[in-house]
Amino acid sequence: MAALSDRRRINAPSGGTTAPVFAKTLKEPGYLEELRPQRSRDPKELRKICECLQCFITVTAHPQKLKLVLTTLSTVLQTSIIPSASGSAYLEIPNTNPPSTSTLIPPTSSLKITASVQGPKPLPRSAPFSPTLLLTTTVKFAPFATRHRRGYIRDVAERDLGVHLETALRGVIIGERWPKSGVEVVVTVLEGDEDAWWGQDGGGNGSGWGLLNVLAGCITVAGAAIADAGIDCVDMVSGGVAAFVRGPADGGEVLALDPCPAEHQEIVAACAVGYLHSRDEVTEVWLKGDAGLEAADSLIEGATQAAQGSFGVMKEVLLENMGKNVKPEDATSKVGGKRKQVEVEMTG
Amino acid sequence: MAPSQAAQVNLSPAELSFLRSSLSQTPPIRLDNTKGPRDFRSMVAEYDVLPSTNGSARIALDDGTEALVGVKAEVEKSLWRPNVEGRRALSIAAGDVDMTDDDKLESHDNKGKGQNSWIEISVEIPGYRDDDALPVFLASMLTESLLSSGELKDRLYINNRFHWKLGIDILLLSPPLSYPLALLSMTTHLALLTAHLPALKSEKDEDPLFDDDWDAAVPLYPKSDSSGGANVDKPPVIVLAMAVGPNIIFDPCKEELAVADAVLAIACAPSNASSTGPRIVSIRTIDPPSHLTPPAVPNAMNSATGGVAPASTAEALTQRELLSASGVWTPPRGGMKRDLIKRVSSMVVDKGGVAEEVIAALQAIEVG
Repeated sequence: MAALSDRRRINAPSGGTTAPVFAKTLKEPGYLEELRPQRSRDPKELRKICECLQCFITVTAHPQKLKLVLTTLSTVLQTSIIPSASGSAYLEIPNTNPPSTSTLIPPTSSLKITASVQGPKPLPRSAPFSPTLLLTTTVKFAPFATRHRRGYIRDVAERDLGVHLETALRGVIIGERWPKSGVEVVVTVLEGDEDAWWGQDGGGNGSGWGLLNVLAGCITVAGAAIADAGIDCVDMVSGGVAAFVRGPADGGEVLALDPCPAEHQEIVAACAVGYLHSRDEVTEVWLKGDAGLEAADSLIEGATQAAQGSFGVMKEVLLENMGKNVKPEDATSKVGGKRKQVEVEMTG
Repeated sequence: MAPSQAAQVNLSPAELSFLRSSLSQTPPIRLDNTKGPRDFRSMVAEYDVLPSTNGSARIALDDGTEALVGVKAEVEKSLWRPNVEGRRALSIAAGDVDMTDDDKLESHDNKGKGQNSWIEISVEIPGYRDDDALPVFLASMLTESLLSSGELKDRLYINNRFHWKLGIDILLLSPPLSYPLALLSMTTHLALLTAHLPALKSEKDEDPLFDDDWDAAVPLYPKSDSSGGANVDKPPVIVLAMAVGPNIIFDPCKEELAVADAVLAIACAPSNASSTGPRIVSIRTIDPPSHLTPPAVPNAMNSATGGVAPASTAEALTQRELLSASGVWTPPRGGMKRDLIKRVSSMVVDKGGVAEEVIAALQAIEVG
């Protein structure tokens, strides 16, 4: 294999590189841990979905009731961003910690996801008869989305996320209304959450905790895109994550909603759900880690609370979009947005 | 995954409706009417079937599905990890480590040193490419349940420079006649339970040298801990459960899956302490294939049977929506309630639950 490699150029190492940690900084054993970003939010508080210009939205999920503090409307969950697709959405959860000046190790990561929905469109003539809508979901990380470069061919984690997303969406769509047709949901992750803080040994050791956050984001954004495409659904689906975290800063084992893996020394168990708000059902559960029966139950409970938080934002955005698209003069025609079909009467 | 398979279940809407109503009775009448809701299909199991592996097992179900698992371990050079090494050297330099009880430390030395990449699982199913959704889904669920405890990967640590690399190769010998997740996990459990690694003769950071006597090999999952107690971990098993109406049915066959409201896969590992039941290590929902079944047309909407066909699409939709309670087959919609998940998981992991039964049965194969 080595003989086949390119010897004419000086190539970068094939794997990722770690940020330099100078020997001097490691004089005291606990030094590296001090640099770890801390969770400044309440354990029950979610990350802001939007923070741009004057937009400010905070979602606090209380065990009893959901409180939505809405100062200005959010724009970083956006729908109808791709004109050629029948529905599309973009979700951004920005980086909460400013880059540190004392270390080169970057703090937390951010999440940026786009989704586009193509269809429903008729299946090709060669395809066998299908009594229901055929749903195809593709989740792809952009090559630059994570610290390790992702190739153009989908790897195991991406395919697995695709299956999870399909499960989450299939329960929502009323497929029997579109026989012989197919719909494609293509989700591109532009920036994904890290599995762990990069100062930790090898950056998470392939534990995949960040994937749960990515899945919850994918479910929310794909749910918004499907609503934007106007496909018949039983409900809107939104994603949420909860985790049991352990560390000196957390003070024992606590349940944290919408955890950012970089902020916690150890994640014991985590769960992502796809939640249907008005039916109070879950279409997708992905729980992993070492959990007992009660722990598993409270994880699912916490993740649904987180999902209710993103549902609140999703609803606002879709309502806002609907208000934008349906203008007072054509409100009578009952069609809005880019699917507006204006009948022109040919006169003269 | 399941859907493309389930499309091959050729049941008419009338048959689906019949099957569903018999499964949602109390007690449910299953397709194999000799079985209760918690009964598994009978199976033939054997272990140590492949001579050139560290551990292997074969399980054949009575419907003809058959799986073969081989576990192979190879010594591999570890990658140098700057942070871990640095911290170790520092702590020794700072005098944190008391050199006198070095031997005592030895047994706990490998704690937290295992890497997730030291375990590799491949799933091979006839008729599927290895990048299809079903094998990928099965492999990632099996991997994450194996890695969750962290004890297995720590046991693969040899010294600073070397580790065992565990390759678990899972082969389904027959076409997947039913959803094969539970079968594959049980076969993997048996193979891991009976896997042995050669005994290490070298010490500490020397190049590893092993005892060539296979009788001296140490089991990958030790039978007892260092103090002789039964406080040891065991490989996880995955239990497949489905919900139909009020009933929860375990180990469903393909036809039963085609009428499921929801399907849940729960991976549990036997707990270290014998007083408590097994621990949950992973839960995943599986898309029930019933979402893809064809909806029925009731007589009232069928002009061939004396009904009146709806005049417009809107009218057809309205009439269909009113059908839900009439017993005419309609594919299920929505997800599952949270208390249902709780009910299923407590049925699995409670003391004397399904998981405990499965683990005890597999343990008995090895002992007997």
